[in-house]
Amino acid sequence: MNEMMRADALTHDSEGVKIAIRNLNFYYGSGKPSLKNINLSLLTNKVTAFIGPSGCGKSTLLRVLNRMYQLYPNQRAEGEVLLDGQNILGPGVDVNLLRARVGMVFQKPTPFPMTIFENIAFGIRLYEKLPKSEMDARVEEALRGAALWDEVKDKLDASGLSLSGGQQQRLCIARTVAIKPEVILFDEPCSALDPISTAKVEELMDEMSDRYTIAIVTHNMQQAARISDKTVFMYLGEMVEMDDTDKIFTSPAQKRTQDYITGRFG
Amino acid sequence: MTDMILQEGAVEAPTNAWRAKALASFKLGDSVFRLLAQIAAATVLLLLGGIIISLIIGAWPAISTYGFDFLTTQRWAPNARPNPVLGGLGPIYGTLISSVIALLIAVPVGLGISIFLTELCPQWLRRPVGVAVELLAGIPSIIYGMWGFFVLGPMLADSIEPAIVDAVENIPVLNVIFAGPASNLSLFNASLVLAIMILPFVTAIARDVFNTVPPVLKEAAYGLGCTTWEVVRRVVIPYTRVGVIGGVMLALGRALGETMAVTFVIGNSFRITGSIFGPGTTISAAIASEFAESRDLHQSALILLGLLLFVLTFFVLAAARLMLMRLERKQGV
Repeated sequence: MNEMMRADALTHDSEGVKIAIRNLNFYYGSGKPSLKNINLSLLTNKVTAFIGPSGCGKSTLLRVLNRMYQLYPNQRAEGEVLLDGQNILGPGVDVNLLRARVGMVFQKPTPFPMTIFENIAFGIRLYEKLPKSEMDARVEEALRGAALWDEVKDKLDASGLSLSGGQQQRLCIARTVAIKPEVILFDEPCSALDPISTAKVEELMDEMSDRYTIAIVTHNMQQAARISDKTVFMYLGEMVEMDDTDKIFTSPAQKRTQDYITGRFG
Repeated sequence: MTDMILQEGAVEAPTNAWRAKALASFKLGDSVFRLLAQIAAATVLLLLGGIIISLIIGAWPAISTYGFDFLTTQRWAPNARPNPVLGGLGPIYGTLISSVIALLIAVPVGLGISIFLTELCPQWLRRPVGVAVELLAGIPSIIYGMWGFFVLGPMLADSIEPAIVDAVENIPVLNVIFAGPASNLSLFNASLVLAIMILPFVTAIARDVFNTVPPVLKEAAYGLGCTTWEVVRRVVIPYTRVGVIGGVMLALGRALGETMAVTFVIGNSFRITGSIFGPGTTISAAIASEFAESRDLHQSALILLGLLLFVLTFFVLAAARLMLMRLERKQGV
């Protein structure tokens, strides 16, 4: 079965693969791997959704893609993750520069303890030295890109923490977009938001999908169905099935996938 | 079935009555407890007020004799004839300078240690370093005093101070602050001892508040490609600013009032020298070394010094509060 999956994943290569994951195993400390022999590809400027029950390794997989796991000394990954053909798990990769290319939006909104303007400008300043006027333009562009500009343009000097939860999350998206990444990882970005904010963030992701390669982890299957091009179903650290989203939700090849999306377990 | 219901009703009524009785008996206990709690709270205020009043009464002879001149007079001559001349400028100056120098040394080092412990330190080293810092806080201050007197003092006077004096000889301002002759007992020695004594406070509080930063917030900053230093500088410290400043103020309060160790190493000279390598005194050191032999106006002047220390500490804490409020308003938190 795994052979079939790999062949399936490899056939996508011709379509413009942004990230190719090859034989990835992941360990939290010693013991059994939390991700087992993952092989899949994220396609350029497509949205790939990861679904599966809690603890199946979706978020873990996401945290490998920008090497966030590396902050914790006991965690390690084996295998290859090729970003435009370069193995980001290999030695000599600058993680700071990697994270500029692979941005991340978290489950809970995480505005920094600074003003709304600074929340955006902070990230830009890490990579570019811009005069004031250009910086203003870039911040506006990022906030517009996150559909937040109209709501905050009169209070850019207010603390990022003064915004509502949904606005904070869009601020975090703006901050991520501002440094012009190629890939954006969304780790359950709407799970802490109300339905209206969720709709706004989803709409935003949809707009963004023609410019960025997006990977999103979600527990909300309607969300996965609504916004993604490809869907990956994971279970117990393994990739069960990856296919076009329509196919996964209408006629999945695996019984376990079928059971999960119809709510029979998980 | 009917029986059951009847039975339940029969059981229910006495239960409620019993509960009501219990509640009634609590009523007395509640009001007694409230009274006790109020008395306990009032005791604190009474104690504080009592201490202030007795300080003012004790200091009154000195206040009425010297007035505001006490704050600007340097001369301290309790045995002068016909009347003793007593001025508090020397100890006040010494208290402020030694505490400020101690803070200047202890705050950067303490923040450095806590950043290391929370962000950089390998897991296995975390406990030993943390415990060592906590043990520093457990050393009695008299031991710091003796160490400053027998070890640090001679070391400073023999090698470190002369080297600094030589190095800044031709630099204006600095050659006044760091002027010879080097002595075993000096403001600088006291400041270093104080710095070591308050280091555990700064470190422990900073470490605790740094640990309150949500990991996901740090991950978000790392996720933008920040280095550890940028995360600490732009996210961890701003997020914990209030706690860190609180810790610094607590440490300053401790430094201002520290008595035993400072009395050992500061030299107890009421004369102000511009150089921090000269001897000096602090309010608490002056009181500790002279109170037992003082009488009349001399004793009153010492109590007045104590009152001033009280006021000084109060203003430091009040200033800290104000500063925090303004910072918070500016941040719009």
